[in-house]
Amino acid sequence: MKPLFRPLAVGALVAAAFAAGPALAAKDVTFAVASTFTTTDPYDANDTLSQAMAKSFYEGLFGFDKDMKLIPVLAESYDVSKDGLVYTIKLKKGVKFHDGTDFKADAVKASFDRVTNPDNKLKRYALYSNIARTDVVDDATARITLKTPFSAFINNLAHPSGVIISPAALKQYGNKDIAFHPVGTGPFKFVEWKATDYLKVARFDGYWKKGYPKVDGITWKPVIDSNSRAAVMQTGEAQFTYPVPYEMAETLKAKPELDIVAAPSIIVRYLSMNTQQKPFDNPKVRQAINYAINKEAVAKVAFGGYATPADAIVPEGVEFSVKTGVWPYDVAKAKALLAEAGYPNGFETELWSAYNHTIAQKVTQVLQQQLQQVGIKTKITLLEAGQRVEKVESWQDPATAPVRLYYVGWSSSTGEADWALRPLLYSESWPPKLFNTAYYKSERVDGDIRNALLTTDKAEKAKLYKDAQETIYKDAPWAPLVTEKLLSANNKKLSGVYTMPDGSFNFTDVDLK
Amino acid sequence: MRTPWSEFWRKFRKQHVALAAGGFVLVLVVLAVLAPYVVPFDAENFFDYDTLNSPPSAKHWFGVDPLGRDIFSRLLMGSRISLTAGFVSVAFGAVIGTVLGLVAGYYEGWWDRAIMRLCDVLFAFPGILLAIAIVAILGSGMANVIIAVSIFSIPTFARLVRGNTLALKHLTYVESARSIGASDTTIVLRHIFPGTISAVVVYFSMRIGTSIITAASLSFLGMGAQPPTPEWGAMLNEARSEMMTAPHVALFPAVAIFLTVLAFNLLGDGLRDALDPKIEQR
Amino acid sequence: MLQYIVKRLLGLVPTLLIVGVLVFLLVHLLPGDPARLAAGPDANPETVQLVRKDLGLDRPLPQQFLRFVAGALTGDFGKSMRTKRQVSTEIADRFAPTFWLTVCAMAWSVVFGMGIGIVSAVWRNRWPDRLGMTLAVSGISFPAFALGMVLMQVFAVQLNWLPTVGADTWKHYILPSLTLGAAVAAIMARFTRSSFVDILQEDFIRTARAKGLSEPVVVAKHALRNALIPVLTMMGLQFGFLLGGSIVVEVVFNWPGMGRLLVDAVDMRDYPVIQALVLLFSLEFILINLIVDVLYGLINPTIRFR
Repeated sequence: MKPLFRPLAVGALVAAAFAAGPALAAKDVTFAVASTFTTTDPYDANDTLSQAMAKSFYEGLFGFDKDMKLIPVLAESYDVSKDGLVYTIKLKKGVKFHDGTDFKADAVKASFDRVTNPDNKLKRYALYSNIARTDVVDDATARITLKTPFSAFINNLAHPSGVIISPAALKQYGNKDIAFHPVGTGPFKFVEWKATDYLKVARFDGYWKKGYPKVDGITWKPVIDSNSRAAVMQTGEAQFTYPVPYEMAETLKAKPELDIVAAPSIIVRYLSMNTQQKPFDNPKVRQAINYAINKEAVAKVAFGGYATPADAIVPEGVEFSVKTGVWPYDVAKAKALLAEAGYPNGFETELWSAYNHTIAQKVTQVLQQQLQQVGIKTKITLLEAGQRVEKVESWQDPATAPVRLYYVGWSSSTGEADWALRPLLYSESWPPKLFNTAYYKSERVDGDIRNALLTTDKAEKAKLYKDAQETIYKDAPWAPLVTEKLLSANNKKLSGVYTMPDGSFNFTDVDLK
Repeated sequence: MRTPWSEFWRKFRKQHVALAAGGFVLVLVVLAVLAPYVVPFDAENFFDYDTLNSPPSAKHWFGVDPLGRDIFSRLLMGSRISLTAGFVSVAFGAVIGTVLGLVAGYYEGWWDRAIMRLCDVLFAFPGILLAIAIVAILGSGMANVIIAVSIFSIPTFARLVRGNTLALKHLTYVESARSIGASDTTIVLRHIFPGTISAVVVYFSMRIGTSIITAASLSFLGMGAQPPTPEWGAMLNEARSEMMTAPHVALFPAVAIFLTVLAFNLLGDGLRDALDPKIEQR
Repeated sequence: MLQYIVKRLLGLVPTLLIVGVLVFLLVHLLPGDPARLAAGPDANPETVQLVRKDLGLDRPLPQQFLRFVAGALTGDFGKSMRTKRQVSTEIADRFAPTFWLTVCAMAWSVVFGMGIGIVSAVWRNRWPDRLGMTLAVSGISFPAFALGMVLMQVFAVQLNWLPTVGADTWKHYILPSLTLGAAVAAIMARFTRSSFVDILQEDFIRTARAKGLSEPVVVAKHALRNALIPVLTMMGLQFGFLLGGSIVVEVVFNWPGMGRLLVDAVDMRDYPVIQALVLLFSLEFILINLIVDVLYGLINPTIRFR
């Protein structure tokens, strides 16, 4: 039994160290986040969280401010050629990488050449595969040539994955190992990553923006259980956490040292209906389902009130979003439409959820209760990730796709209407290609989406996207449910940390009193 | 006349605790059977969005859950699922395990080695791990949970019955049956199998508790019953996020699982003492 | 003795091999394409293809199997599909928290379990027995996840005495190890009691009593040693139970151990991690049984090893 006492002794030492700690470590902040990081390499990440964390040490040419407005970061300005193919980008001067080398146009070339080379097998390949060539014009100017015109390209560059990596470090560590030794131009240097425990970054003294960062370091701590995340905020083990479970909001609000912030999001939650299959091929059935769902109730019961009924296909906050209004809740109308469509007694169908977490459990059950009122009986299945891939995302033959009603969500990570519409409602985006789980096909919407990418004229784009959204609203391949709010908690001493509308973080101004 | 049955009853009657536990199980079974006719509210489709999470009251005896449903009704309906899951899975495991055990113990040799190696392999996985793997492959849902739990009950029954068979095989009455030319099937079914019954019955009752817990654990991990099925483990899983604000939502299903499993365990203890005091505990 | 251990260790090989083959097949039976999962929700088919190549999943199944076996024999289980770190480092990071949790749970459950068992046997059918056995039967009837939730609610949230999350200090070990050990303590108590009851009626105990030895001496010196053997076996068996139980407890307490890793790996279809973990679980289980058998012999020299 002797070794038993070892962890206890070590534990006591650690506890003692912690007790003495805060006085020495002046301005270290801890962020409690919801899952472990998959990688520090944004080009090889597919989760918002890892990319958000990577912004500690990496920066892109462009980025988003806390309200999801596009801003230049390492770029000074840019020009587009008339044909929409050539982007010439002026770079900031006097920027240094953590390894001491200067940021120049060759870094831009090295970073994009890496991701566009399929041999490097990076997960973000698709986002940049439209790049034909990246050239160094001079130290402070880079030129990117596209294969086909793509008017949302600058938004792609602002995507959190589009960061500039030190070419020297890339050469030293190679394509794979750079993920364990990230070297960028960001306000913090990478220190240590212990997968289950924490990822630590420390202040970079040579940061180009004078006076920043205002704190000495950040500890990113994954705390998966949401109750525990609330607990570490109460004990002061962390100064910021996102997401706060809706159920905990009231409890945490009562704590005088904490602020609870509900930030707007561009995350839309919707119910897609397989328009290729009976009975959902009938627009009346789809409209009936829209009428049958009380979106207020969904927001109240499943999201604890921290959501607003969806009033648009592309949510507000995404460029070119158009308000189409909340679909009215009208049970009588729903029943009438069902009767007209030939289903006076309703029908039975499957209701699947893309997630199996608590909120999805609640949403699907509320939906089931409401659809029951108009005679539609549903069988709920909460798909776990593997099943979701098997039965929805990689289903090869659209004609036999088993998906019917499907509860899912989306946020356009480029902050632009194209990525909010094309993957979800374009006829060439049916699974297994992308996520048109409604198997929706409309010549008109297809044309709008295609043409909008070809034009660089903003007014023209706005017109096309407006038409697309209004057409979709009328065709009703979805029942848009709610736009959720992002609930975060921070200690009152902490300032300058924001949850961005896509669920990422902005912490440029982070400071601790 | 002293039949084995009256002998058993004579001993079992003295076990007051087990008798009470048996009574409780009986009440539970009756409630489960009658549940659809006696529940005050529809367990799945009654909802009231204005009383979310409200604590126990005269109208809702055990309070209301986060989706506005009556917890008491859900618990009653859930008893059907938990009891069925526990009973059916152990029954499957017991039947298959007993057959395997009889074959292994009676024929020995190659059969024995193959079956026992299989049991070793099954034993080499922690039970819940095996169940998780099976459910992951078959997909979530109560039926698959029952299959998973049955599979992991098999080796325990196989070993138990094999041991008994080995012991019984060389007893005089079995030897004499063989000497008068009885077929293997007759010997196994008429002479050896009855000798293993009491041990199997005891194990059966003790195992139901474990199986209810395992099934509930799988639902708790989100792999079992799909919403809105009022399975007790699934109810606990749903209640987890409300722990701070509405502890009663978690309390009642937890108590229900505890009392049910406790009753089966106490009943099992009583049966063991009455039938076969020598049997090893779990 | 040495010969016996070597023989047992050799016997381990076929079992592990079968487990290895089984787990490889099971893992590939899991629904869901790991490349699709790893590529993430907004990847197109081209990217999925790239990721598939990157993960080595484009190779034919037999070839993948040979690579797995060859790797496993040299202790190389490949890289995690999720984090791209070596599976061995991934597991090494998680090993200690689970190991210490199991050991803590085992330690206190043996102490309490045997204590309660002995007390119950000595004061058989009197109130300490009744109390002890009520506790014990309750212990095996309370599901670990429910117990964990209750303990967390009471001691961490309401009373704020203990932390809820992480595995940093000894305080973090208290609640999870209590949760994990409760059932084992209960089983140990019941088992110890029954084997003690048997032994206290044996002739040599009567002799010892007749010689005028005091009751504590009889219990401690004569009965304990003999009762230890079956109790030890039980302990070995329960160790395996703890390993499995840790999966549920680690989920409840967000413990950074192997149980959580396994659940996450199954979720993400992280084949290399699942394979390595299951093999490791099985190996531990078998080794523990072997150790128990050997100790068995040390305590009771009359047992011969075949």
